[in-house]
Amino acid sequence: MLAYAARRLLVSLALVWVVATLVFMVIHIIPGDPAELLLAQGGVAPDPWLVTDLREKLGLDQPLMTQYWTYLGGLAQGNFGYSLLDDHSVADEIALRLPRTLELVGAAALIALLFGLPLGVLAALRAGEALDRLLSSLAALALSVPVFVVGTLIILVLAQNLRLVPAGGYIAFATDPLRHLGLLLMPAITIAVGLGAVVLRVTRGSVLEVLERDHVRAAQARGVSVAAIIRRHVVRNALTPVVTVVALHLGALLGGTVLVEFVFNWPGVSGYLVRSVESRDYPEVMGIVLVISSIFVLLNFLVDLLYAVIDPRVRHG
Amino acid sequence: MSAPLASDVPLLRAEGLTRSFTGRGGLFRRSRPVVAVRGVNVTLQRGEALGVVGESGCGKSTLGRLLLHLMPPTEGRVLFEGEDLATLSGAARRGLRRRMQMVFQDPYGSLDPRRSIGAQIADGLLIHGLADAAGAERQAAALLRQVGLEASHATRLPHEFSGGQRQRIAIARALATKPDFIVADEPVSALDVSIQAQIVNLLADLRQELGLALLFISHDLHVVRHLCDRVMVMYLGRVVEEGPASAIFHSPSHPYTRALLAATPSMHHRAKVAPLPGEVPSVANPPSGCVFRTRCPAARPACAEAMPPLETHPNRPERQIACWRAAEIEP
Amino acid sequence: MRRDKLRRLALPASLLGAILLLALAAPVLPLGNPVSQDINHRLAGISAGHWLGQDEYGRDVLTRLIWGARVSLSVAVSATVIATIVGTLLGILGGYFRGMVEIGTVRMAEIVLCFPPMLLALLVVTLLGPGAGTLIFTLAILFTPTFARVAYAETLSVRALDYVTAQEALGARSGRILLRTLLPNIAPPLIVQFSLTIAAAMLLESGLSFLGLGVVPPDPSWGLMIRGARTTMEQAPLLLLWPCLALTGTVLVLNLFCDRLRNALDPGTGGRSRPGFLRRLAVLAGAAEQPAAVPGLLAVRKLTLEVQGPTGPVPVVRDVNITVAPGETLAVVGESGSGKTLTGLAVMGLLPAAVRVTAGQILYTGRDGRTRDLLRLPERALRALRGRDLSMVFQDPASSLNPLLRIDAHLGEALRAHGQRQGIAARVVELLRNVGLPDPESRARSYPHELSGGQRQRVMIAAAIANHPRLLLADEPTTALDVTVQAQILDLLAGLKRSEEGMGMVFVTHNLAVVAEIADRVAVMYAGEVVEEGPVAEVFAAPRHPYTAALIASTPEGDAERLTSIPGRVPQAWAMPEGCRFAPRCEHARAICDQSAPALESPAPGRTTRCLRWKELA
Ligand SMILES: Nc1ncnc2c1ncn2[C@@H]1O[C@H](COP(=O)(O)OP(=O)(O)O)[C@@H](O)[C@H]1O
Ligand code: SF4
Ligand code: SF4
Ligand SMILES: [Mg+2]
Repeated sequence: MLAYAARRLLVSLALVWVVATLVFMVIHIIPGDPAELLLAQGGVAPDPWLVTDLREKLGLDQPLMTQYWTYLGGLAQGNFGYSLLDDHSVADEIALRLPRTLELVGAAALIALLFGLPLGVLAALRAGEALDRLLSSLAALALSVPVFVVGTLIILVLAQNLRLVPAGGYIAFATDPLRHLGLLLMPAITIAVGLGAVVLRVTRGSVLEVLERDHVRAAQARGVSVAAIIRRHVVRNALTPVVTVVALHLGALLGGTVLVEFVFNWPGVSGYLVRSVESRDYPEVMGIVLVISSIFVLLNFLVDLLYAVIDPRVRHG
Repeated sequence: MSAPLASDVPLLRAEGLTRSFTGRGGLFRRSRPVVAVRGVNVTLQRGEALGVVGESGCGKSTLGRLLLHLMPPTEGRVLFEGEDLATLSGAARRGLRRRMQMVFQDPYGSLDPRRSIGAQIADGLLIHGLADAAGAERQAAALLRQVGLEASHATRLPHEFSGGQRQRIAIARALATKPDFIVADEPVSALDVSIQAQIVNLLADLRQELGLALLFISHDLHVVRHLCDRVMVMYLGRVVEEGPASAIFHSPSHPYTRALLAATPSMHHRAKVAPLPGEVPSVANPPSGCVFRTRCPAARPACAEAMPPLETHPNRPERQIACWRAAEIEP
Repeated sequence: MRRDKLRRLALPASLLGAILLLALAAPVLPLGNPVSQDINHRLAGISAGHWLGQDEYGRDVLTRLIWGARVSLSVAVSATVIATIVGTLLGILGGYFRGMVEIGTVRMAEIVLCFPPMLLALLVVTLLGPGAGTLIFTLAILFTPTFARVAYAETLSVRALDYVTAQEALGARSGRILLRTLLPNIAPPLIVQFSLTIAAAMLLESGLSFLGLGVVPPDPSWGLMIRGARTTMEQAPLLLLWPCLALTGTVLVLNLFCDRLRNALDPGTGGRSRPGFLRRLAVLAGAAEQPAAVPGLLAVRKLTLEVQGPTGPVPVVRDVNITVAPGETLAVVGESGSGKTLTGLAVMGLLPAAVRVTAGQILYTGRDGRTRDLLRLPERALRALRGRDLSMVFQDPASSLNPLLRIDAHLGEALRAHGQRQGIAARVVELLRNVGLPDPESRARSYPHELSGGQRQRVMIAAAIANHPRLLLADEPTTALDVTVQAQILDLLAGLKRSEEGMGMVFVTHNLAVVAEIADRVAVMYAGEVVEEGPVAEVFAAPRHPYTAALIASTPEGDAERLTSIPGRVPQAWAMPEGCRFAPRCEHARAICDQSAPALESPAPGRTTRCLRWKELA
């Protein structure tokens, strides 16, 4: 188990390095002078003086390898560069906002699993019946509504028309825990709608598949009760594909926060990213993409560990 | 290099064939290589049928694929009419494929589900330029009749046929290029008894008609006995006994061959001897010395020291055996 | 079945077609200019000239909706087409050639998957600036690895199939194999992935446009329209509704299309329904308790099982009668598909959901001396018998054990299910020792994958005998094993028959030699019927049914130069001959055999046959 974990961790760290390198490379891979690209506005050639200035600021005038080492060295010391607009440290800004984004993601995942898993099992056990058809149709609908549409509609109906909830915003937990959670709920649910639908569908399919396996029939032949069969022989075995699919959707989940933070004015790192992209503040964008992608890679590492917890065959490698 | 006369070289000759697989260990793990076949020699004359028997995982299929050069050997070489398959150019080797063919175990996996069986039978003819499209179609129809199906079946897809019929189709496909040599890897194991007999008879007839050399892989000793002139018994990647089929089945020499025959149930008498203990050890971790010693009822401490070589049996010159105690067991 | 699936595809397909057509026809429809403004009528409601009203710049909403479809779809489709072609190519090459090629293709492409898609898109947008071109480029990069992965995985699995090896053996070049054999066989999942990706691309495109980082205004796009309407949502909430509906509706139709397409392409996932064991009631209606005890242990009478065929219900097991006395071993022998396993499962009450019992009785005489009809016993009562009175060992020991549970958990639950609470650990070890598992203490704590095939079958047998059953059903328990291991398991079962006093056994097999080895009596099944039954020695010495005789003759034993084979093949369940089911293959068939189905007759005490001519042939 430990050897397995260590191996996966090494792979993940290597991937973080690959991500860091790629983020660094993107600006050099894309054809054209990066500084000119960043300053171009709708095909109008930028002021050459500005271009030279920006090049200097980004260190683009140095040799490539020097730039790369400076960049990696900076990362190692937790330095993600400085904003082009106001020279703020990107790392500081991320440190302030990242916990809020992670909180949102965690809450959304929790809600999605809390509803998706049991409902998925229920739908499978009632396969073909009215309840299953209802749940499956709802899931299909939920999968098709873009996350920003869900958010916008929630605001329109619940906040604007019914005035049940505030239209968004943020209050620190330390200031007012209740209102903090209240404000967290709407964006979290918004993200959870799509993820929960995914979980429900995968769980349903996976449970149905496991129900047909030989070992379930063998357990019945031993006279084990239905409840025990479902708990011990079906749900546990059905989890592996659910974990796989949730892992595949982690990327969409993290990306989804970009839209949801924007819609609900949640001051996380993703909303900050949108502002940076708008103002084409490359160091900021780079820093945020790097941090979130690294978190993504590490989350996938945790998923690998989860496989090992669920399945002894993975543990024993 | 002077080409030897076709008549004095065997059709196929394999020397010291060894094949190991290195498992996918991943980035940070090294896995020890699995030796599926080790140091096997095969000689096959024109028109001869050689049976290969042994329990699953003993390297029978790997050997079959090595002989056809469907995978390169790790060590050793395969000579087809004296020509080393490994040193041939890709084009020359593809050309030789016309003369050696394969029939697989799983009749459901061996036919492309999306192409008509006529087209699949004609493939070989077209690939080797042996016929034009119309000629290939005609020959495919004739081949279907030859294996006991109807010419009108040519346009159908594989899923319309039963397992036995598919095996006939696979045989027709292998016969299309008029090969000299066919490897049949457990071609009847997936079939029901009554269908098995049909296919075994078909293979026997075709062999006689066409003078095919056959490598027949099977775990069913009775079937091999019916079809083959000679038999090779494999255990954990090694040949442990080789010789004339009827003689070996009548009076097996190697302790493993004996155990295998004793374990094979018979309709006519119930088993008298206690079954062999244990199971085939993992190929990844074979026993030291004689590979069979962990289960061998005749094993002595000396057997753990080295693997006995495959040599002519001291008392039965027509047989080869790999056992230190061959002479004592069978005086 | 297949036609039904295609019919279900028709609705989403035609909706999708309508949306595509509308988008394609936008320039020729009598619509206004999607970008021409009319500030005086900003936010105007529905009117004759503007069916869906006007937006914050007074532009016609319907026009922008239709033109928006055109923009969204063309971005999504172009990006997906590029991703499909590039990704499939990389995946196939990587999967077919493996090694370095794989690293250069699939693994390279997969690096993109280290990034959440939205973030990578934003990174590129920062550099290139927003616009339709940037979108297509970005989306294509994002989705290429998915196609590479799908194509790679499919190629790997197809490549391992014998028909690809057969092409190599035929001497085909790699190019021919890739194009003619691999590509057509990996196409279905790629087609599904294609339509899924279009939906995903539309979602990403609209998301970026919504952020103002995708399609550049004033070009219409659904995401942009939602962004615009959000600012005025207090005055004109309907403006928000239309693009939301259009976007959700289109994605929904695409997803629905994918689901149904997948169903139509894949024969497996179609008719999944609720499994049978969740049922509460008895299989057949009526009283289970029999007025008079029936001697013996088990008597199956006139059992008939049906499945739904292409044109209606077809009997797969018909009018089957078998009996087992205490301490007796009955072998059920027959070719695959003859109904052996279903008969066994019917006794256990474990038939798959698709199989229906239509008639018959399964009379079981319990420890209390009373006889009950298992087909009419409620599920609860039947469950109490399973594992205690009736036990079963299955064909494939590898899949019959739950890979996630330890060996002791499997055995323990068999004991606990029937009321044992104390001394479970000790009893588990004892059971494992009884079935000859080496080192039972540590084996009990192993997982199934750590055991060999023969050891797993021993564990299954240990679980089956845990509660000293009165009847053990063994369904081809040695078929998946090697002969030497088969001999061990047969030995073990014979030993258990001696130690478990009075235990009856039903041993299902297709191997006549195994029957001779283990059984007292044999029932020969053909095409769903028992055609002959009797003591093994008598039946083998003097079969009273031509099928039994032919089966014995075709068994490759003895020194006969040529094997006797049975011509033809077993008829399909929905195309059974009217008269004797064996008639098309029977060498003794006469005209009468085609006309009337033979009844069960008794050629000798304790023997039955289902042949019209057994007397003449004897
Ligand atoms: N492609 C492969 N990769 C790794 N191991 C393999 C491969 N093919 C065969 N082996 C191993 O080689 C051994 C012999 O296999 P095989 O020749 O298929 O045996 P048989 O035909 O007698 O069943 C087995 O243990 C098997 O696991
Ligand atoms: S060498 Fe020894 S262990 Fe090997 S087969 Fe002969 S007697 Fe048995
Ligand atoms: S009834 Fe006729 S066809 Fe059927 S088995 Fe008897 S002789 Fe053959
Ligand atoms: Mg094999």
